[in-house]
Amino acid sequence: MTQSAIPLKSIAGALRPTPGDILVALLTLVLLAGLYSHYWSGIGGEGERARIVSADGEVHLVALNEDRTLTVHGPLGDSVIEIHQGRVRFVESPCQGKQCIHAGWLHSAGSFAACLPNRISITVLGKNRHFDSINY
Amino acid sequence: MSGLTARRSWWLAVVLLLSACGQKEAQLHDTQLLVMGTLVNVSILDGDEDVAAVATTEVEQRLRQMHRDLHAWQPGPLTRVNEAIASGESAPVDTEKTMLIERGTELSRQSGGLFNPAIGNLIALWGFHSDDGPHGPPPDAAAIRSLLAQAPSMTDLHIDDGRLRSDNPAVQLDFGGFAKGYAIDEAIRILREHHIDNAIVNAGGDLRVIGRHGARPWRIGIRDPRGPGVIASVEVSGDECVFTSGDYERYFEYQGRRYHHIIDPRSGYPAVGSSSVTVLSHEAIVADAAATALFVAGPDTWAQTAKAMGIDQAMLIDDKGNVYMTPAMAKRTHFEVDPPPPIKVVVP
Repeated sequence: MTQSAIPLKSIAGALRPTPGDILVALLTLVLLAGLYSHYWSGIGGEGERARIVSADGEVHLVALNEDRTLTVHGPLGDSVIEIHQGRVRFVESPCQGKQCIHAGWLHSAGSFAACLPNRISITVLGKNRHFDSINY
Repeated sequence: MSGLTARRSWWLAVVLLLSACGQKEAQLHDTQLLVMGTLVNVSILDGDEDVAAVATTEVEQRLRQMHRDLHAWQPGPLTRVNEAIASGESAPVDTEKTMLIERGTELSRQSGGLFNPAIGNLIALWGFHSDDGPHGPPPDAAAIRSLLAQAPSMTDLHIDDGRLRSDNPAVQLDFGGFAKGYAIDEAIRILREHHIDNAIVNAGGDLRVIGRHGARPWRIGIRDPRGPGVIASVEVSGDECVFTSGDYERYFEYQGRRYHHIIDPRSGYPAVGSSSVTVLSHEAIVADAAATALFVAGPDTWAQTAKAMGIDQAMLIDDKGNVYMTPAMAKRTHFEVDPPPPIKVVVP
């Protein structure tokens, strides 16, 4: 058996956690949990609410977890917006190009669609945005 | 020894606690503007709310002014210039239009004429000079041939003592291929004047970023030209633009065929072969013109056009879904679809 240079009793004493060690361990765990929720839990970035802005500047905030259909008035007429299973889209529009309807379902935070002729926009809001901006 | 360890641990605990307190997230001031016929999103990360609001209002006023001054078909300063050209007369041009004509001429030359702001007549013939887009039918082939035969080019234009004249009455200026880029450059200039260092200006899907999103770069998703979601993403920081020209932006369908708005100046018809082109550059006006030129060049010659225009980061998705990229673009692009599409790296 090899002779140890440090008495065993002294090593055991050094390894015993002090109150400071425990505090550091706890704080590390809290910090890790915070970092995880801040940087990772938003992967996919599902939106929680949608902000609908109409031509007169009126802002509607709608939850995406309640299925519903709403009608928003614009200069050309009524645009119909559907919310279903956490997603939102234009379903009817009085504009000719229908590009707002072509935009399809929006679900991730930060995504948006607009009917420019009828001056209505939809933006999906959420705490965690997977992307800061969408290029198209 | 154990007392020393305990004291060190307490210090570490205090440092950790302080650093955790210091991680206060900067507020993102997000404003949407319906201006220049599109949706403009101004996202400002730093500065207080009042500074962000004042800067955003100034951006909005500037963009509204540009919309009036540079509009290709609503009666205004540019349509008056175009009327003078068509009737063989000279017209006064201000410093902004002089600069845009000079930049447009240079970008057109670099692109070998694939980007051509002198073909306003052709764009109008296709019906894209309307707010709500054309509905078909496509123009008569003879009318397209007749316009092409007149070969309108930026080199036909000359400016002397603040007056513009054209050797060719068929030239009609349409800044649609790079006005949005110029507008974004102007918006960023205004934000910087207000000492805003971290922001994104996104106009109808094309954008320029400055600074970072706090501790990380800005994350930009690139839309899938043939699907509802995002096909790829890039991280950008410092001062960079991401511009995409796609056949899905403005188009009409007639008798089952789709006609998009990016007209090939060589054929007079919508450019064929590309579905979308994404360009990264440091100046939005260049990125905008280059995205159009590379789209027109198509899958066979886009890389040469990119090189000629000084672009080293670009991606083209063809009409079959194949992806072509420059090596510098491939290095920083992350595909968000599984499996990733077939990719071909092309050295310009």
